[in-house]
Amino acid sequence: MSGRLTSPWLTSRVQFVLAAIFVVAGFSKIVDPPGFAHEIHNYALVPGPAVNAMALVLPWLEVVTGLALFFGIARRSSARILGLLLLTFIVALSINLVRGHFVDCACFGVSTAVKTDAERLRDMKLAIARDVGFLLLVGQVLAATRREERA
Amino acid sequence: MTRRGSFWRDAIAILVIAGTAAAISNAIAGPERRLHWVGAYSEKAPDRAKPAAAPLAVTPANAAATGEPGKAFAPHPARAWVEVSGDDVAALFSRGDVLFLDARRSSVYREGHISGARSMSVWEADVDDKVKALFAEGRDQSAPIVVYCSGGDCEDSHMLGQKLYFVGFDNVLVYKDGFPDWQKRGLPVGKGEPR
Repeated sequence: MSGRLTSPWLTSRVQFVLAAIFVVAGFSKIVDPPGFAHEIHNYALVPGPAVNAMALVLPWLEVVTGLALFFGIARRSSARILGLLLLTFIVALSINLVRGHFVDCACFGVSTAVKTDAERLRDMKLAIARDVGFLLLVGQVLAATRREERA
Repeated sequence: MTRRGSFWRDAIAILVIAGTAAAISNAIAGPERRLHWVGAYSEKAPDRAKPAAAPLAVTPANAAATGEPGKAFAPHPARAWVEVSGDDVAALFSRGDVLFLDARRSSVYREGHISGARSMSVWEADVDDKVKALFAEGRDQSAPIVVYCSGGDCEDSHMLGQKLYFVGFDNVLVYKDGFPDWQKRGLPVGKGEPR
């Protein structure tokens, strides 16, 4: 069972899916940095002076890391970086969820739709669940490539 | 040690590539898409559950001008902005001499805005230049300026109000229900390129 879960066939497909997710997510933010900066500011977690730098670099970090994973370049390190990004997103959403500050996820770009707090709450919970699912995919890549590290 | 070293080496390389790509894309972006690397925002997003603004000062001299007896829009030098209702804004619009500023993104402004409003998106790189240019026009700094965004929990108009206050305007009125309320009231709407 464990062999199947870490088979090269499955791993290559998981890598492709993860890479596609992050490349799409990154490009959807690259097209509108001010909109993404606005959403980061709404999270109320990042110091004001750092908001813009984060809005500019984070989407490219997703794209570059996604492409590295897709092409199998430093794939363990790429998978770890994606895992760290996902953990960061989960923590950021959870903090706002706990303090009752409902935000747009902005995970796949900036939404122009006006949402109610109830809709935002639902979307935040879904985003956390989805990110946990993506983390499992990262875990699969890391488990399957353990030998690379030992080598 | 080697493994950890390898991760950090890869991570730094990826970060450098991402940072370089971000710098290039930001340098070639137009003003609507460009960002200053250091943001000039307060550290915490304004509290959405903000209490209602204090009542506006009443001066008999301009009470009549608003069309609402007892309601006036005197300067408030001790406060960056005060929130006003849709009725207040409609009355100010009917005066014809009040400046309206749209704090939403330029792309949204194009799709529809309060007729005659100027675009001054607080999230775009040229906002500070626009604010300074507005000041340089030599306008009466105590005349009412209405700023608005999308209503609800939108804080862009408050942020723009803060910027206007810092350059010296002391009568910024934030239309708290914003453009959606304006549309609901069926008041004049313009479309087209930012001005």
